[in-house]
Amino acid sequence: MTYDDYLDGKPAVVTAALTGGIHGKEASPHLPETPAEIAADAAACEAAGASVLHLHARRENGERAFSTERFQAVADAVRDATDDAILQHSTGGTAAPAALRAEPLRTDPPPEMASLDMGPLNRGRRLTSENTRDTVDGLHAEMRERGIKPELEVFNDGHLNEALRIVDDLAEPPYLTLILGPGTLTPPSPRNLQHLVDQLPAGAEFNTLGFGRHQLPLTTHALLLGGHVRVGLEDNLYLRAGERATNEALVERAVRVADEVGRPVATPAEARDLLGL
Amino acid sequence: MACPHLAYRESDGDRAFETARAYCTVVDEFVRPVRADTCTERYGLSPERDCEYFRAEAGLDWDE
Repeated sequence: MTYDDYLDGKPAVVTAALTGGIHGKEASPHLPETPAEIAADAAACEAAGASVLHLHARRENGERAFSTERFQAVADAVRDATDDAILQHSTGGTAAPAALRAEPLRTDPPPEMASLDMGPLNRGRRLTSENTRDTVDGLHAEMRERGIKPELEVFNDGHLNEALRIVDDLAEPPYLTLILGPGTLTPPSPRNLQHLVDQLPAGAEFNTLGFGRHQLPLTTHALLLGGHVRVGLEDNLYLRAGERATNEALVERAVRVADEVGRPVATPAEARDLLGL
Repeated sequence: MACPHLAYRESDGDRAFETARAYCTVVDEFVRPVRADTCTERYGLSPERDCEYFRAEAGLDWDE
C-alpha cells in the first residue's frame, strides 16, 4: 500500500462491480440485471483481467433484491460462467431493509468476500442509510462465522475511524475500499485519496472506487500508490463523455492502464494470496 | 402508502423493457431503482412534503 509496492511491481487486484442497485437499464442498456446477464458480464470481465466480482441481486423489474434466494441465483450463474474469480457479495445499506442485510452472506457456498459499509450515508433529502455500529458488528460477526473476508467500504474520513475501531478483529490483512464521490462521500481528488491512504493501518491493502468521471483518474492514482482498483457499471456508466461503457470495456481499460504504469494485474490466485483468502 | 405518482410501465413510447419498471408520472420518466425505493410505503414519505421531483415541478421551495 505504498509507492514502494508500485516500484516493486506488486500485482494489482481488479474488482469489477457489475450491476449495483442504484441505477439500471433505464440508465444504460449495457447494465446487466438478470442472473444470466450478470454472469455473461462476469465471464467477460474475468477474461479481461478482473479477479474479484462485486455482486448485487435484483428483482425482475430491476430493483434491488436482498434475499439469499436471489443472491444464490446470481452466484450460481456467475460460478457456472467463470473459471476461478472471487465472488464478493454486497451487504450494502442503500435501500436495504435492516432485517435483510445478512441474507447475501447465507448462500451455499458462502461468498469468499462481502462488502461491509462502515457508517451512515445520506439519501436524498429525508433518508439516511444508517449502518449503525450494531449493524456493522452483526454483519462482521456473521462474516467471521462463515469464513467470509470483509471488504470495508470507507465512504469518508469518519468511516475510516469506524474501520480502525474494528481493525483488531479483522483477519490479516485488513482490506479497505476508499470511496470518493458526491454527497456524504469523500470529495473526489487525488489529494483526498492520498490523505486517506496516509491514514491506513499498517499492513492494510486498499482498493479505490471513484464514481463517474473520477473512476479513471483516481484508480490510476491508486495504482501508483500500490493500491487496487474497482471499476464497473455500478459506479460509472461512461468510458468518456458521451460514450457509454460496458463492464468489459472498463476492466480492459483498467488493465491497460495498469500495464502502462508497470503494475501487473493479479490473477485470482494472486488476489487470494494478497488478500488473505 | 406508496407514492400515487409511482407507476410501473414497460414503455414510455421511446424505450421498451421486458418487465414493467418504475416510472414517475410527475416528471414522465423511468426512475432509478434506488429512487423508486423511496417511493414505496416503507419510509412514509409524501410527494408534497418530501419529493424533490414533485416540489420542483410544483415550484415549491423547501421552506414553503
